Amino acid sequence: MNWKLLSIIGLSFVLIGSAVADERIAIDGSTTVGPIAKAFSEYYMEQNPGVNITVSESGSGNGAKSLINGTCDIADMSRFMKDKEFNAAVEAGVFPVAHVVAMDGIAVLVHPSNPISGLSVEQVRDIYLGTVTNWKELGGPNKKIIAISRDTNSGTYETFAKLVMNKQKMAASVEYVGSNGGARQRVQTTPAAIGYVGLGFIDHTVKPLKINGIEPTMLTVSSGTYPISRPLFMFTNGYPELGGHLHALVTLHLSPNGQEIIEAIGFVPVTSY
Amino acid sequence: MRLRTRKLLDRSFSGLGFLSIGFMAASLLVILAPIFGRGMGAAVFQGTIEHRRLMMEKFHRGDRDMIEAELDQVRAARAPVYDMIAAFKEEPQRLSFGDRIQRRKSMREVEDLVVELLGPLPGKKRPILIRDQYGETRWDQAKVKLGRLLYIEEYDYSDRAQMGRKILVPREQKFRGTSLQPLFAYVEENMEQMFLPRTTFYWRFLFDRSLDAHFFGGIGPEVLGTLYLTIMAMIFAIPMGIIAAIYLVEYAGDSSGIQLLRTCISSLAGVPSIVFGLFGLAFFLNTLSISESKSVLAGSLTLALLVLPTVIRASEEAIRAVPHTYREAALSLGAGKWWTVVTVILPAALPGILTSIVISMGRAAGETAPIIFTAAVSVGQPLKFWETISQPTPALSWNIYNLATEHEAVDEIRHIQYGMVLTLVLLVLLLNITAIVLRARISKKLRG
Repeated sequence: MNWKLLSIIGLSFVLIGSAVADERIAIDGSTTVGPIAKAFSEYYMEQNPGVNITVSESGSGNGAKSLINGTCDIADMSRFMKDKEFNAAVEAGVFPVAHVVAMDGIAVLVHPSNPISGLSVEQVRDIYLGTVTNWKELGGPNKKIIAISRDTNSGTYETFAKLVMNKQKMAASVEYVGSNGGARQRVQTTPAAIGYVGLGFIDHTVKPLKINGIEPTMLTVSSGTYPISRPLFMFTNGYPELGGHLHALVTLHLSPNGQEIIEAIGFVPVTSY
Repeated sequence: MRLRTRKLLDRSFSGLGFLSIGFMAASLLVILAPIFGRGMGAAVFQGTIEHRRLMMEKFHRGDRDMIEAELDQVRAARAPVYDMIAAFKEEPQRLSFGDRIQRRKSMREVEDLVVELLGPLPGKKRPILIRDQYGETRWDQAKVKLGRLLYIEEYDYSDRAQMGRKILVPREQKFRGTSLQPLFAYVEENMEQMFLPRTTFYWRFLFDRSLDAHFFGGIGPEVLGTLYLTIMAMIFAIPMGIIAAIYLVEYAGDSSGIQLLRTCISSLAGVPSIVFGLFGLAFFLNTLSISESKSVLAGSLTLALLVLPTVIRASEEAIRAVPHTYREAALSLGAGKWWTVVTVILPAALPGILTSIVISMGRAAGETAPIIFTAAVSVGQPLKFWETISQPTPALSWNIYNLATEHEAVDEIRHIQYGMVLTLVLLVLLLNITAIVLRARISKKLRG
């Protein structure tokens, strides 16, 4: 008698669980796209109560891995998928479809007390290559440069490595930090530091440098004049079913409200309402 | 050795003992005092009218009429600010083109700071993000923002050989002689009327969901997630651990195979937690696919594996400590081995076993690394019980790390991070105290 009751309760739990499971979306990946994903999910859950969207921020590389393993529905990525990842995905029966949700510039940051206000791409490269090690060599004070980079799992790192470093190897003295927030924090507390983060992470505690004489702003990124710009992606497995929650979420950036959210967070929208 | 030397040595040793106890107490104070002080700040603070408006609009709390009355009062106090901004925009500016551009830029800065401080300008469309819908909800933060409105942080770079020196320039200077100039003094003098700060005890901080990725609201989903993870981990670990311990002590004997097993268990206890985290990802999620995404189930299984060695080792010790006479008495009365274990040995060893469970529970609640890849997310809804088998959850330990490093507005939401830290510490403390009390009661009962 008791066992029957228990099994009925257990079964109903499983049934309810599977019924609810349809209404959930797991997002994983880039810490740069994280704020967009969090704001989108917050907005979407308010409009559609009953949908549970979870957001993790573990880096673009992990986002791709999760999508390939099928443990997330949307992979946030601040770079495009690499050949290897694409191959692995297709082999696993996952067909990544890219949705460009916003444009972003990578701002090179220094402490606001640093008199340097602009550098060229070559100078930034020299700093990270380790050939320039003192701010004096760039016309600044006599202080050793502390170069902060994102970890190699990060899409921001990949973009920086491609657009600034020309795929040359960074010096061994470069410090690696696991997130955009962490990189900003390091620069904000270290007067001689230099670091780089996505546009949405600039605040008044750090000073973004002009690169080749161009300030990183939404305007210069959207016009393509700022030299270190890139699109931000959300990847799904195949194009999501039309009319579903997943589809609504990855096309939210195309709506006026989505555009407003992206602008409010500090990224550059792909639409112009 | 002479008696005097012995006494001297004795005294100096006890002195050393007192010193180290004093040192420990001091360091405990140094660690715990800020945790308590700052952590309480998340729930007890000077809340402004914006906080009360947020609570009313988003959680339907508070006395509507009173808040409306307060809002009218606040609007009246704020109106001159908006009037001044509007008047300034209307004002003809006899300036050269370059200066006009400069002026417009400074104006936009002022407007942005006013919006950050007081919330959206009246008559404007309501912003979508909740963080932009309200002004400062906390009085301490409002004062920081006020500082930024009143003074421009500039750096003096005149000495190129040095780092720049920070200088605060009154923002007023940029608008000398215009209708915006009085704004700064007005805001400074009328802050209280514009915000009506009042001591607020936001105890629901522990139960509320977060709003707009932890900008506002509480830490309910995180607390719930931590409880789910801890309890489920213990549900898996306790029976397995105790049964393994019973087997190892009562049945296994002392062959070399068992010796090896014991060594393995001991070394398992020393494996870094991140290794367990990766193992959980590879085994539970990628190989067994026990859930489609990260889930509480996968996380708690991983945590269970992590604490299992501790539970086994400590329970083993507790069972071994039961006097042999108990066993002999039970057997002589005709009880079988199994019956002896269940009715005599286990109850006698229970206090010791409980201790092991308590220690592991505290560890399971606080561990971050095992749940990063298996269960934890930075934003999510509070889960219903049956959803834990398929869905991931935010959890205190992971979200403290997330807020400290990854969040886009770390400095503005520091108080929430501190609140989480305090909650986690208190939660572990509460678990420990419960178990200590429980243990004391059981021991007392056993002694008769």
